[in-house]
Amino acid sequence: MDAVVKRRAAAFVCRSCTRRSQKQLQLQLQPQLRLRRSYSSAPPGPDIYDVVCVGGGPAGLSLLTALRTNPATAHLRIALVEAQDLSKLRSWKLPLDRFSNRCSSLTPSSVLFLDKIGAWGHLERSRVQPYQEMQVWDGVTGARIEFDWASGTPPPAGTTIAYMVENLNLTSGLLRRLEELGGVSVFDNAKVEDISLGSETEELDLREWPVVDLAGGKQLSARFLVGADGANSPVRSFAGIEARGWDYDRHGVVASLQLEGEGWGGDQTKVAYQRFLPTGPVAILPLPGNLSTLVWSTTPANASLLKSLSPRDFIAMVNAAFRLGPTDLAFMHSQSSGQDLEYLWRLEHTPFDSRAVPQTVTGVQEGTIASFPLKMRHANTYVGERVALVGDAAHTIHPLAGQGLNQGQGDVQSLASTIEYAVSHGQDIGVRMSLEPYVSERYLANHVLMGVCDKLHKLYSVESGPLVSLRSFGLNAVNSFGPLKTFLMNQAAGHGTKVF
Amino acid sequence: MQSPSAASVEVGLFPKPRSKLSEPSHPHPGTARQIPEMRPSLLLSRHTPTLLRQQQQNVSRGVFGCAVAAREQTHHPHRQQLQLQLQSLAKQHHAACSSRLFSSTAAASTTSSSSTSSVNADEISHFSALASSWWDPHGPSRPLHLMNPLRHDFIADCLASSPETATPSPAAGAQTRGLRYLDVGCGGGIFAESAARRPGTHSVTAIDPSATILGVARQHARRDPTLATGTRAEPKLQYLNASIETLPLPAAPEPLFDVVTLFEVVEHVDRPAAFLDACGRFVRPGGWLVLSTIARTWTSWLTTNVLAEDILRVVPRGTHDWRKYINADELRAHFEDGAVDGGDRRRAAEWAAERPAVMGVVYVPGLGWKKVAGSEKLGNYFFAVQKRDVARDR
Repeated sequence: MDAVVKRRAAAFVCRSCTRRSQKQLQLQLQPQLRLRRSYSSAPPGPDIYDVVCVGGGPAGLSLLTALRTNPATAHLRIALVEAQDLSKLRSWKLPLDRFSNRCSSLTPSSVLFLDKIGAWGHLERSRVQPYQEMQVWDGVTGARIEFDWASGTPPPAGTTIAYMVENLNLTSGLLRRLEELGGVSVFDNAKVEDISLGSETEELDLREWPVVDLAGGKQLSARFLVGADGANSPVRSFAGIEARGWDYDRHGVVASLQLEGEGWGGDQTKVAYQRFLPTGPVAILPLPGNLSTLVWSTTPANASLLKSLSPRDFIAMVNAAFRLGPTDLAFMHSQSSGQDLEYLWRLEHTPFDSRAVPQTVTGVQEGTIASFPLKMRHANTYVGERVALVGDAAHTIHPLAGQGLNQGQGDVQSLASTIEYAVSHGQDIGVRMSLEPYVSERYLANHVLMGVCDKLHKLYSVESGPLVSLRSFGLNAVNSFGPLKTFLMNQAAGHGTKVF
Repeated sequence: MQSPSAASVEVGLFPKPRSKLSEPSHPHPGTARQIPEMRPSLLLSRHTPTLLRQQQQNVSRGVFGCAVAAREQTHHPHRQQLQLQLQSLAKQHHAACSSRLFSSTAAASTTSSSSTSSVNADEISHFSALASSWWDPHGPSRPLHLMNPLRHDFIADCLASSPETATPSPAAGAQTRGLRYLDVGCGGGIFAESAARRPGTHSVTAIDPSATILGVARQHARRDPTLATGTRAEPKLQYLNASIETLPLPAAPEPLFDVVTLFEVVEHVDRPAAFLDACGRFVRPGGWLVLSTIARTWTSWLTTNVLAEDILRVVPRGTHDWRKYINADELRAHFEDGAVDGGDRRRAAEWAAERPAVMGVVYVPGLGWKKVAGSEKLGNYFFAVQKRDVARDR
């Protein structure tokens, strides 16, 4: 006790100290560590960060932007690790008549969040296209649901269902915002060689702290490691979190298309179209002017055929996909070429309402036809000790509802507020206890949405039998029942009562 | 200075209004806060005044009476292990105890040095046994971990309710460099660590009489570079193996503490009245004494003893002794002092007991703690009282 009293007395004698913020303390910590290194022959120790985010995609960049924007979390010491060269993203620029083929549909709630963190204003707004209506129909029976606000009651706020944004426009805007805020140590062009656990020194016990080893020997010690590193997340592997799910045996074919006009509703009322074919849904989503983006989920064989076609034949296939019957389409997929003429001939014998389908596709931008395999994956959990997963690292969803990126934004929003709560309540932001709210807020919500999209995919893969009439009955019933439709539209737009 | 009736005044903290009426008024007002010479651990079981016994008997007639009686019998009197050690520690620092605000209290504690401690050895060994699991978020301390953010919310509400805390009078030892916390009965450091990490904290001094548990606390703090003491001249977080009675008051001009916290502690100490007084001495004028505890009601007996310990087993057995629970109105009466026994109301002069902060909380398994207005009358609750800043009020 003598010692205790003396130590305590000594502590009270020192009155010359000044107020030190957490940041200053952390800064102070660094020289100490360097000092330790200088007299030991051991290799340089890791740099200590509060947050290390692996992955500079939409999820990672928005998370860091949110943390830097919020005064409560702005003092955190943050590092971003990205495998790509960010200077390319920084200088990303395309003329207005050319669009990247990877676009996402951002819900108003995602946009609201991006605006809140100051990033929305940094996007090239002339390249963002809001759309106000949706047309969704069954390719087998023609049962249709028209998500046009006129048929239901007027929407509570705004008429925009979602905003079509090129992923690169979003990420480059986020990067500009993040660099405007500053204060983030960016390690780009940096390969993560290894993630291990820290060690114990005389003063510190960092055995539960992840240490990220970058190519070139740089080491980052993380109070909290965020895996925003995509579907094959190395952070997820490090944390030993398994991702379960299945491959759909489908590929998503994307392309940037040119249509004959600005759309049936003109510039003011843009419409998104989606038709459920037995091979998977095909969607045309509006971009500015007469441009649109295509997302066509189909079999790998069909996808490779589509990619091999001449532009003329490819365009014919896309037009056919929204107009001809499944049998016609199946036949056209068996031809190696000549779809152009085949389409024109078959179109003459197919009755359809031209205003109920997208305007005729007249061109496809060179080099924009690409495909990627579709999967459904869900990590067993989103957190481990000092680790959390966001975006595709946590879940990969079927793109039929355009929810993948929005789910990631929802994750980020939740994680950022979880961190804010933890910081303001003095919790260690990395420990599992602090991260629990994030999991409970997001896991079930994502799971339900993923389940719905998965079941939709399966429901519409069926070509005949009682299920087909049932689903058509369901779709028609929903279509003629205004309140339910308004509810669904509000859900898609991310406002109204939160269910997902 | 000891008088037998002083004991009943002390214990008068516990009981309900009924007991207040028949309590003998104190013959020597100046000694109202004196601590009787008796083994602290026996205070409740053997030396419990008739009134309290009556109360317990009344209780026994209720639905849960049998269990209470059973507990009474198993109440173990041998708990003096640490007492000697603490007594010697207490002697060492009595001289250091400032008497600038509480001269009579300080005097009282000097004269009763053989039993100043509120520390209960059984409680110490109980919590020391829990040391290894203290920081396991799914271990027996999980409810405490979950409650921790609410503690900060409650303190923030208290500070916000009184502007003078933020800008105390110069006489109060103005703090413009952040809050100084004293966490009494810090255990493994759940609150102390978080308070030290919070923005706006100058420093946290955390004390606990259990060396075992403090070892856990110190080891755990090493996991966070912002807390690790290292070579820093003035650490954010300092753990001391001490009871409140053995802790020296900061020597002037070192300021007293802005916030003194006693979370889930008063229900584990032997003489809460003396204990609260001892803790109160460390609060600077305008500062807050903040605590959380459990009301002594049939619901709290059912939930904290029967349900939590015996049935659900979310809390280790023997953690709670229902008879030690204190109700919010009793705490308030304590700080209003003379209101109870017609004494000199010195506590009332020192504490703004007319406006204590009270917040009832309810634990919902699976959801955590929820604030429920009025639930301080049922079970767990927070209580805070501000020390008057006389210089400022003048």
